[in-house]
Amino acid sequence: MTSNRRTEDSVEHHEISALIPWYVNETIGERDRQRVDAHVDTCVPCRDDLAVQRRLCEAIEAQPAVDYMPSASLKRLHARIDAMQADAASSLPPAGQPMNSPTPWRGWMAASIAAMAVAVALLAADRWVQFESRRAQPDYTTVTNSVPRPPGEAIRAVFSPTITLVELQTILDEAQLRIVSGPTEAGVYSLASNAALPVSESLALLRRHSTVRFAEGTLPERVSGNSR
Amino acid sequence: MILPAKNSPKERDSALLAAIAAGDRRALEELYLGYHRRLARFLSRFTPRYENIEEIINDTFMVVWQNAKEFRNASQVSTWIIGIAYRTALKSFRRQKNHAVASLEDYPEQTVDPTFDAEVTDWLKHGLSRLPIEQRLTLELAYHMGHSLEEIAAITECPVGTVKARMFHAREKLRQYLPTLGGGSSDMPARLG
Repeated sequence: MTSNRRTEDSVEHHEISALIPWYVNETIGERDRQRVDAHVDTCVPCRDDLAVQRRLCEAIEAQPAVDYMPSASLKRLHARIDAMQADAASSLPPAGQPMNSPTPWRGWMAASIAAMAVAVALLAADRWVQFESRRAQPDYTTVTNSVPRPPGEAIRAVFSPTITLVELQTILDEAQLRIVSGPTEAGVYSLASNAALPVSESLALLRRHSTVRFAEGTLPERVSGNSR
Repeated sequence: MILPAKNSPKERDSALLAAIAAGDRRALEELYLGYHRRLARFLSRFTPRYENIEEIINDTFMVVWQNAKEFRNASQVSTWIIGIAYRTALKSFRRQKNHAVASLEDYPEQTVDPTFDAEVTDWLKHGLSRLPIEQRLTLELAYHMGHSLEEIAAITECPVGTVKARMFHAREKLRQYLPTLGGGSSDMPARLG
């Protein structure tokens, strides 16, 4: 074997070795896949490494993961955006006020103080709301508690955390329902009937879907049935 | 914003991002719900604390909300979002080093796949927790999230060669930490040039 040939083999070996993880996760292109196949047929270290990487990939995939309900986090995201937009709106000059003040530093100082005041107020309000909500809420939550019903509410329902809005809308359309409130911290939606369809039939339609974790009427005189 | 169910995930993501750029909060909500599980499962591998996970996810979607107009389709929407999450997570983990390399004691007892060797699972937890965060993220992006080499380069905003090098070093270290993966063999993989 010539020196050039050995160098070429070494380069090919290093290149193939670097591609092995993406050969294992099956995202490699067809041409590179064929190169890896051909190389590991003759290269024992790469064949061994391929086996090790497959086992490592399997081990990582087999590790348990935790699923979380997104609804409460999403509410907090909305609150952050609301606060940001309110902050931005409050820092704009009032209509009619000239942008160029004769003493610019006063304007900047006033704006800074106002921005700081708004930030402090928002922070304080956020802390207060968090404190109050923690103090007011029990350690457990129920979906049929004594919280005042939103106007028109006929059903309370909890959907799978993985449901998409498209799926949710499809289910609601089928059951002729619309959302009047929610989701709450516990992921509970309050639903109102859109049409003359009896609530019991809407409930039955909801409960047919595996993505509906819970559905219960809130008008006991008209509705009967068990929660999902 | 309700999109027809027949759209592909890529088309849906692009349409949602366009709507977000126009200020559509419902589109943001839909995109958030579409990515929350994937990101939360990924991040839960680095920190057991949901408040940290939520902070990273919500910081990510604040950036999405504020910068949707700047997205120019140079990459897939999913790559863009995961790239934002990657950089947000990296900053968070560096800021809170104790959470970034969470100790095994932080994790609640979890059931494991009974078909998989428990010894390998234990070694794996130890081995992964000892990798530098960039190497571990690269490994997890490939083996847990299933991203291609080019996607990881885009997500991490690094040259492909850097991604290969990080992966190489992660593999090398894990070979040392995880002898059971190699069936106890002391053979080391070939070094990159």
